[in-house]
Formats: sequence, C-alpha cells, structure tokens
Amino acid sequence: MEKIRAVYIHIPFCKQICSYCDFCKFYYDKKWADEYLQALEKEIRDRYMDETISKIYIGGGTPSCLNNEELDYLFSTIKLINLAENIEFTFECNLNDITEELIDKLLANRVNRLSIGIQSFDEDNLKFLEREAYFADAESKIAMCKSKGLTNINIDLMYALEGQSIRTLKKDLKLFLKLDVPHISTYSLMIEPNTKLAVKKVQAISEDLDAKMYDIIRKTLKNAGYDHYEVSNFAKPGYESKHNLTYWNNEEYYGFGLGASGYTFQIRYTNTRSLTKYIGGNYVMEKEILGEKEMMDYELILGLRKTKGINLKHFYDKFNVNLQNQYPVDELVKAGDLIYEDGNIFINPDKLYIMNEILIKLV
Amino acid sequence: MVIEMANSHIRNFSIIAHIDHGKSTLADRILEICHLVDKRQMQDQMLDNMELERERGITIKLNTVKLNCNYEGENYTLNLIDTPGHVDFSYEVSRSLAACEGAILVVDASQGIEAQTLANLYLAMEDDLTIIPVLNKIDLPNANVPKVKKELMDVLGFKEDEILLVSGKTGEGVKELLDEVVKKIKPPIIDKQSPLKALIFDSYFDPYKGVVLLVKIVDGIVKVKDQIKMMAMDSVFEVTEVGVHTLNYESLDVLESGMVGYICASIKDIAKVAVGDTITLANKPALEPLKGYKKMKPMVFSGIFPTESSRYDELKDALEKLKLNDASLTIEPETSAALGFGFRTGFLGLLHMDIILTRLEREFNLDTIATSPSVIYRVTLTGGETLEIDSPNKMPDKTKIVKIEEPYIYTNIIAPSEFIGPIMTLCQNKRGIFKTTDYINENRVNIHYEIPLGEIVYDFYDKLKSMTKGYASFDYELCGYKDSKLVKMDILLNGDAVDALSIIVHESMAYNKGRSIVQKLRKLIPRQNFEVPIQASIGSKIIARENIAALRKNVLAKCYGGDVSRKRKLLEKQKEGKKRMKMIGSVEVPQEAFLAVLSEDE
Repeated sequence: MEKIRAVYIHIPFCKQICSYCDFCKFYYDKKWADEYLQALEKEIRDRYMDETISKIYIGGGTPSCLNNEELDYLFSTIKLINLAENIEFTFECNLNDITEELIDKLLANRVNRLSIGIQSFDEDNLKFLEREAYFADAESKIAMCKSKGLTNINIDLMYALEGQSIRTLKKDLKLFLKLDVPHISTYSLMIEPNTKLAVKKVQAISEDLDAKMYDIIRKTLKNAGYDHYEVSNFAKPGYESKHNLTYWNNEEYYGFGLGASGYTFQIRYTNTRSLTKYIGGNYVMEKEILGEKEMMDYELILGLRKTKGINLKHFYDKFNVNLQNQYPVDELVKAGDLIYEDGNIFINPDKLYIMNEILIKLV
Repeated sequence: MVIEMANSHIRNFSIIAHIDHGKSTLADRILEICHLVDKRQMQDQMLDNMELERERGITIKLNTVKLNCNYEGENYTLNLIDTPGHVDFSYEVSRSLAACEGAILVVDASQGIEAQTLANLYLAMEDDLTIIPVLNKIDLPNANVPKVKKELMDVLGFKEDEILLVSGKTGEGVKELLDEVVKKIKPPIIDKQSPLKALIFDSYFDPYKGVVLLVKIVDGIVKVKDQIKMMAMDSVFEVTEVGVHTLNYESLDVLESGMVGYICASIKDIAKVAVGDTITLANKPALEPLKGYKKMKPMVFSGIFPTESSRYDELKDALEKLKLNDASLTIEPETSAALGFGFRTGFLGLLHMDIILTRLEREFNLDTIATSPSVIYRVTLTGGETLEIDSPNKMPDKTKIVKIEEPYIYTNIIAPSEFIGPIMTLCQNKRGIFKTTDYINENRVNIHYEIPLGEIVYDFYDKLKSMTKGYASFDYELCGYKDSKLVKMDILLNGDAVDALSIIVHESMAYNKGRSIVQKLRKLIPRQNFEVPIQASIGSKIIARENIAALRKNVLAKCYGGDVSRKRKLLEKQKEGKKRMKMIGSVEVPQEAFLAVLSEDE
C-alpha cells in the first residue's frame, strides 16, 4: 500500500449558520474553541504516524473564524506534521474574514492555497443561503491576496437554488470569471436532512432546470479556459486541487477533527460529531474495513468522477486484475455510457450528470 | 346410549345481527350464564377464534357450541350456532340458519335497524325460523329504546311485548332471553328411524382430525365406522369420530336426529366437502337430499402476486393453507408480464378478499400486490358462444364480441334521510338504476338501487361511509346480469401494454378513468434514461397520454469533505431501489406505482 500523503483537518466553528449546511459545525465559542484545539492536537499526536505529507487541507466549518491566538495554536499543532517541500496547503476562509493580517499569518505558516466560499453574489440567492458576499469586497480582497503572492485560489459557486433563474446564474458566472482565480468549485444545491432548508421544507428546483444550469456552467467555464476535470470542479491548467484528487484517486488520507472522514490503512472512518466525546478522546464513530472488492468499487465510484476517468494500466498495477474482467465495462462502452480512449475509461460527458445510473450498473 | 335428555329438550338457534350490534358480546354472556366458561377464563368474544375476527369485531367462520341451561327446574341443551354478519358470507349464514329452528335478532338500541339486520332477517324468514327480537346495548347512554322498538314494529312487524331488552355488556336481560329461547323456539323434529340425513352447515380443517364437518342431524343416527355419503359431491368416507362442541371437542358414540355436532372422516381435502350438502349412509341412503344446496361461486376475482417474486412458493403454500379452511376461495396460477408469477384468486366479495390479503400478511408474513378486482362478465361471441370472463386479460378481441353482460346487485342502503341526495348521486355515478326508497321511520330510509357489481368492488363502500359520516349501512343481493357497453382498457408504458393494469370499464367512464391512471403513473414512475410515454388505450385507440421526461440528473454533485463512504451507501441504496423495480419492457416501474394505481380510485 502506498504511504499516506494527505491530511484533512476540520475546524467545526462558524459565526453564522448557512441554511444549506449539514457539515459538522457549532456557533463559535471561545471556551469550546480552546478545548477543541487542544483535543485536535491530541488526536494528531495519537494517530499520525509520521508520514511525509504533501497535501494538507484545513476546512470547516469556518477555519477563518478562529482568532489570532487560536490560529497560532492550530499552526503550532500542524508543526507536528512533516510537510513536504512541495506541499499544497489549502486553507478555507470566509470572504468577510479575509484581512491583510490573516493572509500574512497564513503565508507565514506555509499556506499556499486559499478556498473562499462565496457561493453567489445575487442578493436573493444570498438571502436564501443566509450568507453575505459583495463583489467589490471580493475583488479587492482577492487582488490583495494575489499581490502578496497567494495566487492559487478557489472560489465556490452554488446553483440550483430556489427561485434562481438562468439569468442570475449567468450573472454570477460573469462576476466569478471577473475575479480571475485559477479554480472554481460548483455545487448544485442538495437539501440535506437536518439543515435549515429541510426544516423549512424547501423543495429542490426541477431537475430539468438544474441540468440546464450545469450545462451552462460547463460551457461558460470551458470557454473561459478552465478544464472541467471532475464532476463539480474546474481549474486552469496546473491548478487542479491536489488534495481533492487524493479522494478521487482513491488514495489514503488522514481526517483529523470533529466529524472528519479519513481513509487510512485500508479503513474508511468517520469521526464522532459529538464535541464532548471528541474532547474525551473518543474519535472514531464509524469504520468501514475494506476488502479487495470494496477497494476496487471505490476506485470506480471515485475515479469516474474525474473526466479523464480511470487508467486501465494503473488499475491493473494497483489491484493486479483487469478492470474489464471485474466489471461490465465493455457492455457499458457499447451502450455509450462509458468511453474508452488512450487506455482510459471515463463517463460519456453527456451522461456525467446521471453518472449514478451508470455506477449502479457497474458496481 | 349417552344421550341424557329427551330431544324435546334441545333448542337449536342462531344469533343474527348487523355488524357491531353486539352479537359476539351477547354470545359471551350466554356462555357465561350457561357456565361454559367462568369469568376468569373469559376472553372477550369467545366464539371468534381467529385473531382477525376479534380485532375486526366480526365473525368470519362459523362456530357452534353446546350449552346447558335450566328452565323451570328442567335441563335443556341449547346449540348456539354462530353466523358471520357480512353479506359476503350470506350463503354461509343461510346454511347455518337452516340448521336452526329459531334465531335471536339483535338490534343495537342506539343504532336501530341496519342493512344487514334486514338481510339476515330475510334469510332467517326464508327458513321459517322463530325470531326473537332483542334490543341490545340498552345500557348505553344514547340508547333510544322506544324509537328502535317502534322501528321493529313498523318495519319488521313485531309486537311490542315480544321485543326483549338486554345488555350483552352488563348481562341484564340475558337470562330472560334464554328462557324465551326455551319457551318460544320449537324443539327439532325427531326421526331416528328414517335413513340418515345430516346437513353440513360448515366445515374447517383441523391439523389432527382432517376436515371437521359441522352438521345438524335431521333424520336418523350416525356413529363411528359408518360409511357416509355426500349426496351432492357423491363421495363416500368412513366416520372416525362424532361429537359435539363445547368450547373444545366432546367426543360421543353417536349423533342422533335433532342434535348439532361434528363428524370427522379422515377427509384430507376440504374441496371434497360442500357446505349445504346432505350426508347420508352409503349402505342405507336417503332418497332425497335436504333442500337448499347450492354451489358457492366466487363473485370477485383478483390476481395476487408476491411483491418479491422469489416468494411465489410461499404464497402458494399460504393460499393452499387458507383454502383448507375456506372452500369458497378459488385459486389458479396466473402469470403476469408485469408482476411475475401469482394466482388468479376468487372471493365471495370484497371483504372476503380483504380478509384473505390481511391474513396472508399477518399469518404468513407475505406482502402481496393484488390487481384490480374483477367480476364475472358474460361475453357472447359472434359465433353464438358464451364465455364467462373473470379477468380483463381473458377478454376476447373486441371484433369477436356481440355483447357483454355484467352482474347487477340490488341494494339495501340504510341511512339518515338527510343523506338521500348525496347517496343517490353516488349511486348514479356508479351507473345505478334507481328502484325505490322505503322509510324505516321519519328520519331513516332504505334506498334501493340496481348497481353493477363491478362498480361496487372499487370504492363504493368507502365513499358511502365517508359521505354519510359513517351513518349509512349497506347490503346487497345479486339480481342478475344486464347488457352493458363495456370495454377493456389497457395501459401502455413506452408502447407496451401492462397486463396487470388492464381493466374492464364502462365506455362512458373509460376516458376519465384512463386519464386519472396515466396521470397517477406519471407521478409515480421515476424518470428513466429516455422519455417514456404512458398511454391508456381501448383497442388501438389512445384515449389518454402523459410523458415521463428523460432523467436529467442523478449525481452526487458534491463529494462532502472526503466522506466517500456516504456516497457508496447512497449508491447501494439506489441499487437496492432498482432491485425492487419491475421491468415492463425497458421501463423500470416501482412496486409502489402498481400498488398506488391498484389501491386507490379516482
């Protein structure tokens, strides 16, 4: 098995709860934050096996809602981890939290990639999502980051929101492109249980409109020079998220923190969402121990999210079996669901948005 | 000889009532007063053996019990023969009444006369039984004794002084009622010398004894080792046991003229026995059977399929077991392209069907899909030949049909007069032909219509109940076949007819019905990878159409923070969902879609 190269760290605090979010999060509270950061340090000390890490991602929640001292504590904890020379170090932040001071601190601690959750600039959309974002603010802050050399930036775009029209989506896309960042993640709204939206019984928009929006996004971003490299992700050449590719390449990674998921030593696990349990050192809530078949299934489920799909030779090298012998690939190629090209198998781009239908037939 | 009493001390009687008028509770009190059970052993509704009977408060299968009762210092044997209360089982009611000389007519003192009060009373009168009218539930605060008494006098012609007042709940008046049974009901006529004639009024299957025949010995005697002959079925068996029912079996040496009891004869198959048949001795047969035997014919047919096709064998076993105790249930294998292997099953009526489906679920843990109930249509072909059709899929091609006839029923719908308007509208909508209304008192009427049975089997009763706030009661008798403009309507998915959804419908209703079904299916069938037309057709003519748009989205757009286990679980769930789908041509249809279309109406 290849060594673990990636780490995800979860910071479960927010100063505002967004209507759609079902991630593990709490209202920021100083006392809890301090206790939590200590517990996080303990988890890393307990579980991390000293591998050299080349991809690290601090997500949330809202990592940027921590104050200066807390951030210092967090970064001192990260010093426990051996970071490779060419590390990709991503830090998630809220647009409102971005200040020169914060950026300086991040840069001083080897952060070299920023992921900003903007979602939309449309007033109605933001109200629906219970968020804030002003284009002028975004424009000046991103310019500031770039001026300091922090150019590898991702921004999130949400669509398929209640009441949203094609027109407002196009407007958002225009503004997002204007920000000229090398990576854009797009998410179609899912109404998850236990979110404010679910409580309010908000209905999803029609799947026809949803699919139409997806097509518009693909076309617009492609024309602007972005490569559509994964179902929901677009990047300028060379700016694909290395950390997220860890997931889609079915490679192992640590997940540290409350509610975080990880994949280590052939076990997929999810940490507890209970703050008290976590602080008490009871980290893992669920474990899935993988056999050969499960590992191969994951390789397919995740690998086919990439538009380049799965390399057959790579699959053979990893599992010592031919993909075509293990799964009804040829049948689906014949049906036009999958495409075989240059030693790779990938989902027919026209069917990317219904790829679950194909995966069900495969695994 | 084990007979302790002269036969003039035997009384055979039934209790008849509308559903919920307290028949079983009254029977419980009678059992208690006759010391057959004491208060401690008392379980409510002792005679209702089946769990389902207790729960629904109805009697499905007949039970009979021998009681001892003292009247003016002398001991009497009372044979209480219980009857089912529902119209579906009217033939069984009539057979058990034929075994009696009298009947207690129970009427709820707060409800008054209801549809089945009349239906059951008419059956009893056909057999010339002595009727003892009784107002029950007089302990209830809303009992209205004078009013209901007046109904019995005005509508049924009883005299005021012959109507007894009882409470099955408190026991008030029950002893007096038993005295009245002894006084008023004639003892059976005894003739021990003539050749054996015994009426089979019920039968059931006992795992140890085989088929148990419940009989009334009219003439002669029967004992163990006798060779008995079923006169209508023309079969011979050797008697292995005779006896009477107390709450258990009480084996005797002989059964004699006038007695009510049971006979076992190592009969393995209940189909070899017909309720209403006459038993005689093989070597000394009676010349004529007792009158009144008729073969019971199922009226309502439905295809029953297991929701999991792998459980076909279990369904087969279960239906065969139920059939052991239910000679009126008919089953034959049926194959549906949509639902797989199952059975065309015939029932006496809708309640009977409902009971069987519930028993399959409860006692055998089987989930089933039942296709729309069908009646028996009489189809005359161009060649002059007549067919009986019990399934839409057996309907011959339209071009070969000269005429189709369908069975009609004659209704008793008893309801407060304020509901006359809505009830008539309902009957009219069900293609009813108005006959007449009778007033039971100034506030309540009995409305008579002739309505196609095929319309009743859908949702007539539910609608009637809801539009009259539960006040209407309903009963019917068959009144023959009439010509009808009926057509077979098919439902097509992506151009293929779905056999399980075909129905026979009146021409005038086909359009609405077709439209409602295709609309419902459009909502219930998930999008597929291609556009799917849903059509309703009569022959080659399309009368309604909807489209299911092609699937546009099924993707987990966001892969949450590396939580991919969750994604795999979601796929597994979708895969499980697919497994429960039935393939109709190239279209995947969830079971629920069939269930929803088949279970509700309009």
